[in-house]
Amino acid sequence: MEKLTVDADGKITIPPEVIQKRGLHPGDELSLVESAEGLLVYHGGVDEKTSAWWNRLDQEQRLLAETEARPYESLSDGQRDSIWNEDADSIEAEAESDEIDLPTK
Amino acid sequence: MRLALGKPPTVLQVEAANSYAYIATITNHFYITEQTSNILKRRTPIFAAPILADTRPLKKARYLRRWARRLTGFGFSSEDAIVLAYGSFGLDVESQRVGVDAIITTDIRLADRYNQRHSEIMNRFNDMITNLPEAYRQLKLPQVVTTATVLTLV
Repeated sequence: MEKLTVDADGKITIPPEVIQKRGLHPGDELSLVESAEGLLVYHGGVDEKTSAWWNRLDQEQRLLAETEARPYESLSDGQRDSIWNEDADSIEAEAESDEIDLPTK
Repeated sequence: MRLALGKPPTVLQVEAANSYAYIATITNHFYITEQTSNILKRRTPIFAAPILADTRPLKKARYLRRWARRLTGFGFSSEDAIVLAYGSFGLDVESQRVGVDAIITTDIRLADRYNQRHSEIMNRFNDMITNLPEAYRQLKLPQVVTTATVLTLV
């Protein structure tokens, strides 16, 4: 984690080693997000693992991915939530039959 | 999904991906719930396979739902309560480990509620496990950490 200091004009300077490591260039846009933990600075772009996954896909797989992604992207938040809440686990006692006993030591 | 459409990730996605990358440097044990695993198995393998390959689904140990019901008394929804209960009563069948060290979430309100009421939750948890068979008495509460907090550790 880097510590940055705000100057009198409200500017912060990103250390050169971070600029180099992150491949930042003059004019690049960063997002400043206010969160409960404080201010977070984001550099847009795709992380390494996701990039590696994408680069491994052949043309046919990329087309398939796009075909799957398009309808999902057009869903509302509520519609997406309902996909992720499919077969939601009940917390009622009647549903407990699938619980596994821990082995006794 | 957004990458497949040529769109940049959202801020939350960036946050989640970077948290994931950091956590992968300190552990290789990533778990998901059975429900999430089942949903992913119904999705196109192109998207789901890398996540399923990196994670193991936890099974529900006895008393998981009982603990989840108690957690709803602290104001958690039943969906959130189940996830929190997996943190203590989720069983990795392969390693026989029970519970997790931390639940990572983008849900700031969930983490805040859990952390603000942690001592009450801990008391309730201890009261419950004290009365359970011996195998359950060593169980612990997980930490609940936001993805943003994880990034402050990097």
